[in-house]
Amino acid sequence: MSDQVALMTRGLIKSYGRVQALRGLDLEVKRGEIFGFLGPNGAGKTTTIRCMLDMIRPQGGTIRVLDLDPQADPVAVRARTGYLPGELQVDPNMTVEGALRYFNALRGNKVDWGFVRQVAARLDLDLEPVIKNLSHGNKQKVGVVQALMHRPQLLLLDEPTLGLDPLMQREVLRLITEAKANGATAFFSSHIMSEVEAVAERVAIIRQGVVVEVAEPSTLINRALRRAHVRFKQPVDTSPLANVPGVTVLSQDDGTSVLLQVEGEMDGLIKALAAFPVSGFETERPSLEEIFLAYYEDDQKEE
Amino acid sequence: MMTVFRYTLRRFRGQILGWGIALALLVVLIVSMYDMIAAEQEQFAELMEIYPAEISAFMGDISTFGTPEGWVSIEFFSYMPLILGIFGVLMGSGLLVSNEENGTLDLIMAHPVSRTALFMGRLLAFVTATVAILVITWLGFIVSMTWSSMDIGWGRIWLPLLSLLAELLLFGTISLFLSMLLPSRRLAATTTGLLLVASFFITGLAKLNEDLEAVAKLSPLNYYQAQDAFHALNGVWLAGLLGSAVVFAALAWWRFQRRDIRVGGEGSWRLPSLARLIRRA
Repeated sequence: MSDQVALMTRGLIKSYGRVQALRGLDLEVKRGEIFGFLGPNGAGKTTTIRCMLDMIRPQGGTIRVLDLDPQADPVAVRARTGYLPGELQVDPNMTVEGALRYFNALRGNKVDWGFVRQVAARLDLDLEPVIKNLSHGNKQKVGVVQALMHRPQLLLLDEPTLGLDPLMQREVLRLITEAKANGATAFFSSHIMSEVEAVAERVAIIRQGVVVEVAEPSTLINRALRRAHVRFKQPVDTSPLANVPGVTVLSQDDGTSVLLQVEGEMDGLIKALAAFPVSGFETERPSLEEIFLAYYEDDQKEE
Repeated sequence: MMTVFRYTLRRFRGQILGWGIALALLVVLIVSMYDMIAAEQEQFAELMEIYPAEISAFMGDISTFGTPEGWVSIEFFSYMPLILGIFGVLMGSGLLVSNEENGTLDLIMAHPVSRTALFMGRLLAFVTATVAILVITWLGFIVSMTWSSMDIGWGRIWLPLLSLLAELLLFGTISLFLSMLLPSRRLAATTTGLLLVASFFITGLAKLNEDLEAVAKLSPLNYYQAQDAFHALNGVWLAGLLGSAVVFAALAWWRFQRRDIRVGGEGSWRLPSLARLIRRA
């Protein structure tokens, strides 16, 4: 494994009885990269992350985390990693500070407590209350603080902004970006496509336990279908537009406007439109969410 | 490991104090009543003669009712493995799995703590908590004997307590081992609890029915020493119980090293559902 690779899995297989959660998962995350991991519920996102921390043992394949084998050296992997579980549970009878001090003690009391207070303040997290009295969002903030507090080389975050309000979601994304600026690698799963699109340099789409796509968000978006809404100065016959390669007419009214779907490059459509009296032209850029849903819908059709 | 130990022991504080103080108060009551029993020994001896043999089988030699050792054995030590055994079974079954079922183990395991260190830290806390409860109970004896005519001796009181400790550790570790094997803490605790109750009855009934003696030899409570410990503690039996506890702890550790950590909730046998089988048929 290259020094430049933070995470690597090859042919990872994990079954729970008859249910195959991972069916030969291949993944590679570069050091210093923010990597988004997308997939519907049950696709294998959490299973992958838990294999990386040796909480569960795969039946096949290999994993390397920061050039270490998690099964052979789990303590070293966890010492370098900050983990936020998807379903965060902390001892409900501890105070926030008590819980964080306990996690610090498990890390050998190496954490800079000033940094802990700083991150907690940025997330507007009070350290005094007892965990059981916290809202879901505040519990999530405790999880975010404990994952970041020892300035890990690798962040494994399972739905890091779950339950947070939009302001706090943005703050968590900032913290992840800052961790990256300080040399950390961030690997995070999410259902919120806008946040993946905002911070991830590359994304992987996992479907039924295998990675079906790895690309930069912009590449995925550019490769996807786009919609173009064209308005004309006077009614025209739009049928020649349907003959342009990659263009499909979705709807048209009395000939003064048309809604088109364009696959791939826009060049052919733009050239074809040169022959028309165009008064307005708008394109809709698909969100990563639509692209993700397209993958998922394909999957459902296959089933 | 010591961080895990300290944290776990702190979590057990309430149980240590609850069980310890309750048992110490029970001991104070029993020891305080002894003076009355000693003063009326002849009447009690007559009463004991008409007691059925079954009582002796479960509570010990009731002819020794009037002696300090006999009194505390019958009134306290005879049934203590059953009562305090519940503590051992619940503690053992929940030592790791309670955190697994409430989902908190996931985050603990994400920290640089090996499975062995986590297991050993928790096990050590369980042993310490059990010893602490027995120490508080012992203090109950010591304090109450200062105003009672009962004089067993501070050190001698420890002899049946040692045997009780060995039983508690054995049932605790059996429960811990089963919690590593079975899909839920509840099932592990229920199974070990049934084993404890069955062991209590088989051991008692074997004193009435010779046919059960062979089975009773397999019963852990057959090797528990209450009244007998005051006279001569059987070191082989004590070592046997402690050794068995070590074996079950080792088996539990071995299993914990190899199993997956659940995210939360109870596990399952992953057997095909009855509804699915009916549908297929």
